[in-house]
Amino acid sequence: MAWLESHLLTATVFFPFAWGLIGLMIPSGNQDPKNAQNVTKYWTLIGTIITFLLSIMIFNRYQAGGPEFQMAETVPWLTVVGISYNVGLDGLSLWLVLLTTFLMPIAVLGSFAAIEIRRKEYYLFLLALETGMLGAFVALDIFLFYVFWEVMLIPMYFLIGIWGGKDRIYATMKFFLYTMVGSLLMLVAIFYISYQHKLQFGNYSMALVDLYRLQLTGGGFWAPQSLLFLAFGFAFAIKVPLFPLHTWLPDAHVQAPTAGSVILAAILLKMGGYGFMRFAFPLFPQGLAYHQNLFMILGAVAIIYGAWVAMVQPDIKKLVAYSSVSHMGYVILGLFSLNTVAATGAYYQMLNHGISTGALFLLVGIIYERRHTREISAFGGISKVMPLFAVAFMIITLSAVALPGTNGFVGEFLILLGSWKTSPLLTAVAALGVIFGAVYMLWMFQRVMFGPVTHKENEDLKDLNFREILVLVPLIIAVFGMGIFPNFVFDKLNPSIDRFIARSTVAVQVQTASTQGLLMAKGK
Amino acid sequence: MEALNTIRPELLTFSREQIVAISPYIWLFGGSVLAIVAAALRVISPKWPVFLITLATLIAGTISSFLLMSNEPMVLFSGKMVADVYANFFNLIFMISAIVTAMASLRYLDDGKIQHPEYYLLLLFSVMGMMLMASSLDLVVLFIALELMSLSVYVLVGFRRTDRRSNEAAMKYFILGGAASAILLYGAALLYGATGSTGIRDMLAFIQKSPEGVSPLFVLGSWLVVIGFLFKVASVPFHMWMPDVYEGAPAPITGFMTTGLKAAAFAAFMRVFVSAGYGAGLAESLRTHLHDILWISAVLTMVVGNVIALTQTNLKRMLAYSSISHTGYLLVGMIAGPLSEQGYAPVALYLVSYAAMNLGAFVILTILAAKDDSGLNLHDMSGLSRRHPWIAFSMAVFMLSMAGIPPTAGFAAKYYLFYSAIQAREVPLVVISVLCSAISVYYYLRVLVYMYMRDPVESPSGQRVSIWAALAVAAMVALTLQIGVLPERMVTAARKAVISL
Repeated sequence: MAWLESHLLTATVFFPFAWGLIGLMIPSGNQDPKNAQNVTKYWTLIGTIITFLLSIMIFNRYQAGGPEFQMAETVPWLTVVGISYNVGLDGLSLWLVLLTTFLMPIAVLGSFAAIEIRRKEYYLFLLALETGMLGAFVALDIFLFYVFWEVMLIPMYFLIGIWGGKDRIYATMKFFLYTMVGSLLMLVAIFYISYQHKLQFGNYSMALVDLYRLQLTGGGFWAPQSLLFLAFGFAFAIKVPLFPLHTWLPDAHVQAPTAGSVILAAILLKMGGYGFMRFAFPLFPQGLAYHQNLFMILGAVAIIYGAWVAMVQPDIKKLVAYSSVSHMGYVILGLFSLNTVAATGAYYQMLNHGISTGALFLLVGIIYERRHTREISAFGGISKVMPLFAVAFMIITLSAVALPGTNGFVGEFLILLGSWKTSPLLTAVAALGVIFGAVYMLWMFQRVMFGPVTHKENEDLKDLNFREILVLVPLIIAVFGMGIFPNFVFDKLNPSIDRFIARSTVAVQVQTASTQGLLMAKGK
Repeated sequence: MEALNTIRPELLTFSREQIVAISPYIWLFGGSVLAIVAAALRVISPKWPVFLITLATLIAGTISSFLLMSNEPMVLFSGKMVADVYANFFNLIFMISAIVTAMASLRYLDDGKIQHPEYYLLLLFSVMGMMLMASSLDLVVLFIALELMSLSVYVLVGFRRTDRRSNEAAMKYFILGGAASAILLYGAALLYGATGSTGIRDMLAFIQKSPEGVSPLFVLGSWLVVIGFLFKVASVPFHMWMPDVYEGAPAPITGFMTTGLKAAAFAAFMRVFVSAGYGAGLAESLRTHLHDILWISAVLTMVVGNVIALTQTNLKRMLAYSSISHTGYLLVGMIAGPLSEQGYAPVALYLVSYAAMNLGAFVILTILAAKDDSGLNLHDMSGLSRRHPWIAFSMAVFMLSMAGIPPTAGFAAKYYLFYSAIQAREVPLVVISVLCSAISVYYYLRVLVYMYMRDPVESPSGQRVSIWAALAVAAMVALTLQIGVLPERMVTAARKAVISL
């Protein structure tokens, strides 16, 4: 227990994978291999629940007013270039860790019926993925972060490629290559800044707290700060994904199995936003200042573009996928507005998007398992045959269109409030996106749920069973909980957001001051 | 040359320390002689006596090299050869490659009905050549070692006597390899003419004493030597022989060539470079020259290797082109070496990692190969994960490692290398390298696609997996993951090796 106390983060990160490896050793049983595979799924469910409990322990131990990174652990790893195993947690990490551990049991439970082949591998990959994601969220050594970031790709690659839909191989290759290209440029930037650390401070280090102290030249496109920011930004923008780098997302989302889509949308995309907040912004504030407008415009474009494209999709899953592009546009807009309100909103929106889009993918999966189609035109009048399903779908839809009282409202409202200060014009554009968002979601809902039952096959669809209710209830609770009591989240988030904003803006002020100084000098 | 005029007794006798220092070579030499005798026992069994002697010899050599890792460098044979950490580090690579190759070949040769004892014998000879290459301090000794290695490998490449592709490969390799050796030798001759010595350290001393001695003759000589080496490591534009040879050679030999041969060529290359004071003693103009040659060659090698590998459907050929691209990364390390604080350690680490993953991959190909190495197309890998789950898993590890994805050796090595290149301020070169390695991800992952995401096909490949080969694969998987997860020890060893130069 004492060991657990002092290594809580490490234990939480590696527990799922270790649990999965132990699960591999459960004998398959000669008589009825199917039974043994059933054991695997319950085993995995238990593992993810234990991980969730561990993360609750982390939540309890985290002190909002305490030091910046808590529960930190450092072990030297590759000393010749200053790489260490260094993990720690602040508010930014905390909620994403909780989101991950909260959604994993749901994703596992959601794939009980859908996954019929090669279950052992499937669940092992899910657990490996969880380890990768948790590791990336708590890594404080920039190289360690990179390692987890890449490790995550492998299980996801297999999840899409083996258990995905018809075009799964194309989709998974595209997903992998897109992410890889972006992250390799980031790696070059990582090496560059860690070498700068050696030049400036005389020792090798890749620890984030050390790198935050770096002084890098800024100003101008070809200045190191700007180029480094772009190298990092490219990797994260692909992951978010930001228009125009989003094209891998619809393919990957549509082809992935339900749990894969849920995790991809709910957690992997957050890795991009988290990366901006943890690395790109604080490390290169002047580069950020230089590219701020570009990214804000792209964010606004993504909001509108994602919404428009979503509107015309005939396939529900693809519609949800494009809605992700739109929703993550808000996150980018909020983050790049660079003030506390907008950043808080953006962070909150990441959590919301995780919950509501995750839930949407689960709902689409549920209907797909019954009908084996996702075409909107194949449905109609579903609310008559599946009333419970319709209610759940309604709640999640409303959360996605940001109805007050649901979680979506808090996030979008804060983002728009904050970004108004930075750019009223783009805020107005983004607000239009809210309307388009309501249009495509509600229109889809209407076509699927209301009207007469036009297709014979739909007449005797079974409503949600107990397992599916169990999957959806926690998400619905979260939708309302986060909509009504946002302060529960903000209490443990705000100090970290303040630090983040302070780090990311300090140089902007310096730059403006020096520009003013320059002007004054010229005036004299 | 003075040794010819005056007889110095200390040159004729060995001290105890010297005997100890060359013990790996003695083991190998003794073992080779013993194996020749054992080859005569083919009437009893064509494989076991020689195979066991080979294995015992290589293991003894490995152990003694390992024990010598901490010894001080010792110059032997009046400065013709040196036994230092560097040499022993590479000896380990060569001998372990040979052990793995021998283990993988046992069943393979049986299946191909080419189980002749000479195979193992030639393997031992070529290892001997490689070891001498890594430790020679004299261009003439280097040349002899190179020939010892190459001639043995020429024969091994053509070992499938009834297969025309194998014969063609051997012939091609023989002619082009001979040309490369000739270029190297000619360069050495010019250097001798310019400096009056064939010893690498003597040349350095000569240049340092009189910087104006960098005559056109010297420049031309060093160019030719460098080109000779580039030929041997198959960097673009001197790579044309390689894919055909790799495809035609028996699968285990191809694995041995990609690891042992490449490591040996790089070991000698580095030693010549470092000992000749590249970066330290040489004139600025010459250094820029060499830097430019290497830079262009590295970029071409990476781009051409990776792009052509994209279109290959035969796995041996794909790995051949991938091997070319890895040569490109290694050249990046060679460029960065003198300018970065990490020195040449990344190159050494990369060679170890590459040896581990590539040998492993080729042992798997050996296991899967049907008669005359057919059945090694991508298509034949379909659904391998269901026919042979463990083999597919191992192959996946090797492929991910070659693509440079954590937590594997390829990842640690590749990025340690790029890091040192950043330190050398070669940022554009590193950007090109990482983009090339992004290209490479595609063709490595395609193997995984076939193994895991396609339905199984009826494959002509042999279904029995020999225990020896399985053991070799398991060891290579362990090594690949070990270097990937905990690289510290291997990095330290590589640094120690390179510092001893």
